[in-house]
Amino acid sequence: MSDLAEVLDAFRKATACEAALWVQGGGASPTDAPIAEPRTPGAPKLTVFPSGTDSPVDARTDAGSVLVAAVPGPHRAWLALGPCPAPGVDLRTYMSFLLPVITQYLQSALEVEHAANELAERYEEINLLYTISEILGRTVSLDEAAKTILTEVSETVGARKATVLVHERATDTLRAVAALGVDLTTVPPIRVDDPCSVSARVFRSQHPALLETGESPCPEEAGYRRGAMLSVPIMWTAPAPRGAEPLGVVNLSDRRSGQPFTAGDQKLIAAIATQIGTAIQNTRLVRASVEQQRLSHEMQLAHELQMKLLPSDSILAPDAMVAARVVPAESVGGDFYHLFHLGGSRTGIMIGDVSGHGYQAALIMALTMSAAAIHSQTTTDPGEMLNALVSTLRDELTMTEMFISAFYGVIDPEEGELHYANTGHPHAFLVNREHGFERLPAIDPPLGMNEKPPVTARRSWRRKKDLLVLFTDGVSDARNRAGERLGEERVIETIRDNLDAEPRVILERIVEELNAHTQGAPLRDDLTVVLVRT
Amino acid sequence: MSFSVKKEGEVVVVDVEGQLIVGNRQELKQKVLDELERGEKKFLIDFSQTGYIDSSGLGVLVSLSKKIREQGGELRLANLNDDLKTLFELTKLDTLFQIADTRERALQSF
Repeated sequence: MSDLAEVLDAFRKATACEAALWVQGGGASPTDAPIAEPRTPGAPKLTVFPSGTDSPVDARTDAGSVLVAAVPGPHRAWLALGPCPAPGVDLRTYMSFLLPVITQYLQSALEVEHAANELAERYEEINLLYTISEILGRTVSLDEAAKTILTEVSETVGARKATVLVHERATDTLRAVAALGVDLTTVPPIRVDDPCSVSARVFRSQHPALLETGESPCPEEAGYRRGAMLSVPIMWTAPAPRGAEPLGVVNLSDRRSGQPFTAGDQKLIAAIATQIGTAIQNTRLVRASVEQQRLSHEMQLAHELQMKLLPSDSILAPDAMVAARVVPAESVGGDFYHLFHLGGSRTGIMIGDVSGHGYQAALIMALTMSAAAIHSQTTTDPGEMLNALVSTLRDELTMTEMFISAFYGVIDPEEGELHYANTGHPHAFLVNREHGFERLPAIDPPLGMNEKPPVTARRSWRRKKDLLVLFTDGVSDARNRAGERLGEERVIETIRDNLDAEPRVILERIVEELNAHTQGAPLRDDLTVVLVRT
Repeated sequence: MSFSVKKEGEVVVVDVEGQLIVGNRQELKQKVLDELERGEKKFLIDFSQTGYIDSSGLGVLVSLSKKIREQGGELRLANLNDDLKTLFELTKLDTLFQIADTRERALQSF
């Protein structure tokens, strides 16, 4: 205000009249503290303070007569001119010159002051946002982050009570994850459809609420609401088409100043709520990712377990040379093969495909494997064996609407015979140089589709010459990225081209052919190949 | 992939557009069972616009065929393309269903 003192000084010099500016401070009645001290000690004490609309008023003081006028504008200020040593001075004319100058000056001073305050506030807010970013960068614990953010925010807007409520999908309630000025454990969950709760309403409407005064009528909210309250939804904007969705609510209340919250506060809290939303989402994603890792680890274990159920293809040696491979489309699947010693040099070979894939198919597959191991030892007739097998599994198959296409062959090299039953298995062949490929077609529909016992058929079998070829439709249906199937014919050709090789080598060629076709395109179905020569 | 259900005379005709696979089989099942519950007895599933049926799709057809039979009803399949026809033959599923070459023949066979 030193500039102002200079203005008044200049006026005194020019007119020899006294001049003083009076302001009202602190909401009390006009004070006697002039902000521009009169040059001569003992400035006249004012007793009259006209209102802004009145014209200047003459007033008598101990020192002589003065003219007093209110300074227009938001300031409560008065300009007092006089007394003057010389008589007959026209104070009104002086007033008409000086008052606009003082008004202008005060107005600019006020604007500067506002701007400074505004700047300080913004600075505080920016600082707050920096702090919050740091907090969020440092931690993935939502509770910890929310608590720290809440403390910082409450400090900035001067709230003594605050809560962060987060939506819990399973119960459709808002639960407090952080609280200030109230014990977190005493804040009860609020149902999203609660008709009286402000938080619930803000969450539903996705719009902030500024409440001026009053206690909350809701017992759930009474703990953290006193006087004015600001309640802002925590929004998270997911990529389209989901868009913005509410995750929770931030509540602030019990303001130190006793004043209501402003639109500026609301804007600030909305910005911070977005940050909290990001923190919530990060926490959820981290949790989901950990869960995903655990799940994929378990799937890997399940895969290994399932592969362990399959017998080694060397177990029939030296009675039979077998090459077998299962590749599940997912970690676990419904394809399988099984190999049995049946006494003498007789061997049992089974291939099967449980409809569907994934866990359910894998469980039925495991059941089938163990039941087949038992039943194969009670009969050497393939039809009887499959009939016993389906009797064991019927309840599970009916319940799950699943079925099993299976081929079961019993090779007796001594007798020179292959006995087999085929329930819905599409790709079974007896192959040799002389007759080429003879399909051993399905005789019955897949196990679980009807009640009729499967029929056994027989073919002659020659050591070293005949090859039993079994593969599931996952092989012939394997598609490349353009969606083209490998086709049964390509598999047959590959076998024909390598017919004199060992089963192990033929299998490798089939796998190579398959990989060359699919070029890494994901498998749609499990695939299994079994090749047997005795 | 969708199913359209319409009535031709006394027969409920379901067209399967695209594929009948693990992802949409329940939808087909529900549509047919709803009609069955309403008292419909004659069903025709037309595959003229179907490219592929996976094993779980076949499972649903078998289960529907059983359920329809239990209610004293009948199920016919029609218009299987060559691949599907081979699939039904190779797996002996053709012994479980009444399959007609055309929709008209299927409708006449009730």
